[in-house]
Amino acid sequence: MKKLAIISVLLIISLNIFAQKSNDTIISNNPQNLKLKVLYFHITNRCNTCISIEKYVRQTIDSNFANQLELGIIDLYVTNCDLPENQELVKKYEAYGATLAITPYINGKEGKSEDLSNWAFQKVHKPEVFMEELKSKINESIK
Amino acid sequence: MRKTVALKSLTLVLTAMLFFGCNQANKKTDEQVANDTIAKVEQNTIDSLPAKDSTDKTTVVEPKKDVPNVLVYNFHITNRCASCIAIEEATTKTLKTYFSTELKQGRIKQYILNVDDDANEKISEKYQVFGSGLFVTRVYKGKETTTDMTGDGFKYARNKEEKFIEILKTKITEYLK
Repeated sequence: MKKLAIISVLLIISLNIFAQKSNDTIISNNPQNLKLKVLYFHITNRCNTCISIEKYVRQTIDSNFANQLELGIIDLYVTNCDLPENQELVKKYEAYGATLAITPYINGKEGKSEDLSNWAFQKVHKPEVFMEELKSKINESIK
Repeated sequence: MRKTVALKSLTLVLTAMLFFGCNQANKKTDEQVANDTIAKVEQNTIDSLPAKDSTDKTTVVEPKKDVPNVLVYNFHITNRCASCIAIEEATTKTLKTYFSTELKQGRIKQYILNVDDDANEKISEKYQVFGSGLFVTRVYKGKETTTDMTGDGFKYARNKEEKFIEILKTKITEYLK
């Protein structure tokens, strides 16, 4: 019975860990290195398209910019815009629903954000094109 | 001691089951809501606003050929999410509020199309849409110009409807000129 209790607790804990990981924001808070913030906002009840956009954003970064993410050159924010604690960010980016934006930083100074939401919804159904174009946009921004 | 452990583990397992059970129940409710909404939408649907005219032969109005006309397409899949439904509702609201005259004149037409329906395959291919989508097309002298507003829809329609309506209104106004 004790074993069962331990297994149940471990199961619940592990499920929570995995649930959190898939929504992780990956930021280094390293203003000296930071060149680009990639921000993806979503609502609580998500559709497949919205989930796919996040998936391909992550894939693009994981496949091409893992090192930059590690060094804090790129920060990735994945944010639920329905949560009260995110409202400041939501207002700043006018991200009231699914929104993809990139913000360049030059010498620690925030540049003008580019809203990629329309682009993302256009390209998401062609993952290779989506990831290739996003890769180019990111490369351009962290030159 | 054993009894206490057994009781605790039973409580944990029951809590976990209740948690997952609740999630499942919520899912079902969402699906039901979505299906209800679809049923409602399909009734009003396709050609929705112009369709009213087309049933009454005395008020049938053909789109004017010598001025720009605007086609508004709301694409969706069968199982719709809250944002997709919000986009359609806000689009219809925009048209009814600001463009009722153009709707009556036939200068604007709204199409609400399920991309899962075989009958809509051709138009879905034309717009390269595979899920939810909002497209505004200007037709003038045989030339078509289209703006894909899907991203704006998903960004604003559900939680910032007034902003979405403003963006859509501006685009349609521009396309009517």
